[in-house]
Amino acid sequence: MIDLRQAGARRLRAWAARRFGVDVLPYSIDRRRIYILPTGFGLAFAALIVAMLVAALNYNNNLALAFAFMMTSIALVAMHHCHRNLLGLVVDAETEVDGFVGASAAVTFTLANASGLDRYDVEIRCAADAMTTASVAATSRSAAIVRVPLTQRGVRRLAQFELATRYPFGWFRAWTYVQAAVTLHAAPQPLGELHRSGASRPSGETLRGEKPGEEDWAGLRPYAPGMPLKHMAWKVLARGEEPAVRTYSNPAGEPEWLDWYALPGLLVEARLSQLCRWVLDADRAARTYGLRLPEASLGPAAGPAHRLGCLRALAAHSQSVPQGETASP
Amino acid sequence: MNPNISQERLLWTSGCFALAMLPHIGGMPPWVLIFGGITAAVRFGLAAGGRDAPPVLLRTLIAVAAIALLFVQFHTFNGITAGTALLGLVAGLKLLETRTRRDVCVMVLLIYFLSLDALLVGSSFWLLAYLVGVCWLTTATLLRLTVAEPGPQWRSSLRYAGRILLHAIPLAALLWLFFPRLTEPLWRLGENDQGASSGIGDTLNPGDLSDLALSDEIAFRVHFFGAIPTAEQRYWRGPVLDQFDGRVWRRDDRETPAEPDLRTEGPEYRYRISLEAYPHAWIFALDWPTAWDAPEAKLTPDGMLIGPRSMTGGLEMIASSRPRRHDAEPLPEAASRRETALPPAANPRTAALARTLHREHPGERDFVTSVLEMVHREDFFYTLAPPPLESKDPIDEFLFDTKRGFCGHYASAFAVIMRAAGIPARIVTGYHGGTYNRYSDYWILRQSDAHAWVEIWIDGQGWQRIDPTSAIDVRRIDRSLREEQAAISLANVNLQAALPWFAALRMRADALRQLWHERIVRYNQDSQQSLLSALHIPNPDAEKLVFVLGATLAVALGWLTWQVRRELQPQPRDPLRRAYAQLCAKLARLGLPRAAHEGAEAYANRVADRRPELGVAVSALCRGYNELRYGRQASREEVAAFARRVRSFRPRDSRESSESRSPASAPRSDRG
Repeated sequence: MIDLRQAGARRLRAWAARRFGVDVLPYSIDRRRIYILPTGFGLAFAALIVAMLVAALNYNNNLALAFAFMMTSIALVAMHHCHRNLLGLVVDAETEVDGFVGASAAVTFTLANASGLDRYDVEIRCAADAMTTASVAATSRSAAIVRVPLTQRGVRRLAQFELATRYPFGWFRAWTYVQAAVTLHAAPQPLGELHRSGASRPSGETLRGEKPGEEDWAGLRPYAPGMPLKHMAWKVLARGEEPAVRTYSNPAGEPEWLDWYALPGLLVEARLSQLCRWVLDADRAARTYGLRLPEASLGPAAGPAHRLGCLRALAAHSQSVPQGETASP
Repeated sequence: MNPNISQERLLWTSGCFALAMLPHIGGMPPWVLIFGGITAAVRFGLAAGGRDAPPVLLRTLIAVAAIALLFVQFHTFNGITAGTALLGLVAGLKLLETRTRRDVCVMVLLIYFLSLDALLVGSSFWLLAYLVGVCWLTTATLLRLTVAEPGPQWRSSLRYAGRILLHAIPLAALLWLFFPRLTEPLWRLGENDQGASSGIGDTLNPGDLSDLALSDEIAFRVHFFGAIPTAEQRYWRGPVLDQFDGRVWRRDDRETPAEPDLRTEGPEYRYRISLEAYPHAWIFALDWPTAWDAPEAKLTPDGMLIGPRSMTGGLEMIASSRPRRHDAEPLPEAASRRETALPPAANPRTAALARTLHREHPGERDFVTSVLEMVHREDFFYTLAPPPLESKDPIDEFLFDTKRGFCGHYASAFAVIMRAAGIPARIVTGYHGGTYNRYSDYWILRQSDAHAWVEIWIDGQGWQRIDPTSAIDVRRIDRSLREEQAAISLANVNLQAALPWFAALRMRADALRQLWHERIVRYNQDSQQSLLSALHIPNPDAEKLVFVLGATLAVALGWLTWQVRRELQPQPRDPLRRAYAQLCAKLARLGLPRAAHEGAEAYANRVADRRPELGVAVSALCRGYNELRYGRQASREEVAAFARRVRSFRPRDSRESSESRSPASAPRSDRG
């Protein structure tokens, strides 16, 4: 039974993807794309109605019949209300989401309800194990975060997501597929004990001091949002000039290269994890760094955009094309 | 996945359960009700102590024991009474283990079915209204329980459930009207033995019927088509009793002797009679029935209408009767012997009296008159509280000692006197009289109208009705009778006498109740066919009914879809904005919609350019809107006045009407 239902849902999903192409976000839910079926509880209720009708007809009892028809009609009205709970809801989603393996990617959805009715219990499902429920009051919008667990490094493309509801009574489940891709970049877990400077400096100079990278003054860089405040050049700011941060460089005074080839003897994932660790460290220290991978090198640069680029490059390493994936439960 | 439900929700569920059980009080074995109360109390006690439902083993034991007890009591689970009791029991057990949302869902389904069960027993409008109310509350509870927290508040849940019910009612009405009814039940699951009051039985002890005389319950209602028989003719014939053992009159259906065919005389009265439920097969009809449309009902030789089974569901039939009977042929020997039989040694004084009187008045007519005169002349009293007749000759005791009695006493004594004189006589029980309901043109016969009279055979005329009770001198009708009736049903007599409007109100209420029974409770295949005829559908049959049902249902579902989507349109909460939107909509209907960028003043100018005759009114309204919106803080009254002005602004497409309108609305706008 469950297998049958899953198989049916899979085929419907594939058909919907072929039929409706790609949706542009924000997408307003169209009535022709809302599907509706009774739930288990709904079937139990239907059985109850049948029992009521049989009892009423058997005793030729008009009042009991009226009551049974009342229940039937309530079910019909509830079906319309269930369908309506999704109708015209405008959904928007963050299409590129980053995260680390072992943690989860928080995909933020925005539901905008321009109608005069509150919408309750709208279920957003990205993958089998990733869903959340949200309610949106009338003429307002609300954000819902779906946490997709990341178990594998790489770029994962969820080609569609599903919005569903069982409101009002749980007798029916109405749902729709939104054909909009959400790309998840699962960066490797930042792990590794190796010291970057030891590996990256072929000259074999010894390290001075306990805190590498904060030793040598390398001048001021214009401030960009996200840079650590502890490197803020407050005196510069106090003089009324452009906000700036102090940067430090390694003793050689040249940009630091986080190099794939500097980590021989490690397995691919371990190497990537180590590189990821270094990227995060370097970024936290607001240093200028570059990342060298077999397929590309990035930087040298600094700042959140660069960090994001590096993490995405690490996530995408040795993965040809991000494979499309449907949100199969 | 299935989080435990809060105590508040448990309370609501139990409340709905209790409300659904309420109509079953009386129908259900009391211990089932008590069981339900105890399970609720135990569940709450545990929940209040922060503890869970009792362990599975204990619950199973309780369930098995309770269901076994129920089976011991009923020996079956079929039929309404046993089935309802079982359902109540199961619901009580379910309440005991209610823990998760899923349990509550099951509970809700049980509550729905319990509500329906109550309707299988009762049939009043108020019961249906009450149960729809219960259904409303239950549905609101279900809504609260199925929505993830934080769901809608109770108030809005109730409002929402109410709205769903309101939308459901038209659909349900259509289904109810056009869903084809069965002529015969699918199968008989135990007869409905509820709601049938005892009424008149098939024996008559002199003291019987006096309990009925105090009962306000309705036995049946009658509507006469055309002429209405006089009070002396309104005898509604029930069981005919012709076997007497010295005290009690009985009838024996197995050995009714052959009698001459019924030959009736006099004007024919046609009427529709609606009988309330009672546990016997006979059908009350006006003396003497000549035609009836109740299928399978037969007329016995002694003039009783008998149906195939007990009238436990009530009955409605159209019948005709004629007031008199005329038989020229003699009564057959066997019947004559039977109708004059008396137990030999019983009531010797009565027999002696009969013989003496018969010697003095040999003619049958004279003899009857002399007996009735005796009743009138002597100290016979009519009372509801006669002294008990304890001797072995109760008729003697009544006629010569106590002389106080009720219609049963008089009929019984009269019949015995007749038989002792060799005149065939028998007792007929039924109803006499009735109250006219002038609000709906029908007669109400209550149990207090129950009566017993006598029929005697007069050669050359046949059976003739004699009512000895009516011979009592009016002065000797016990005053305490009225008082006793009044004491028992205060509202019935006392208030009616004191407050005429109360009697009228009661009659109106009964008229409505009768209408409800006629139109709703007894709605059937025939009613459906006449409904189709009224809709000008030729040759109505079940197929056409289904077709009409489909067509109307399609329309109704279309309406529902439109209605449900219409609610999605945002309604401006601000009354001022709503009024302005209304104004714009009115102008848009004339082909002058407001552009999105247009302010009120610019819009008014444009309207004035295009339709000068509307210019003054529209400018005033738009200026009013601007003042209220952007001027000093507008009071609620000012906004309401603006809204009224917008409502009364009715621009027309045709020129002459707008000319007559615009000067009218211009001075009105000055007020704001």
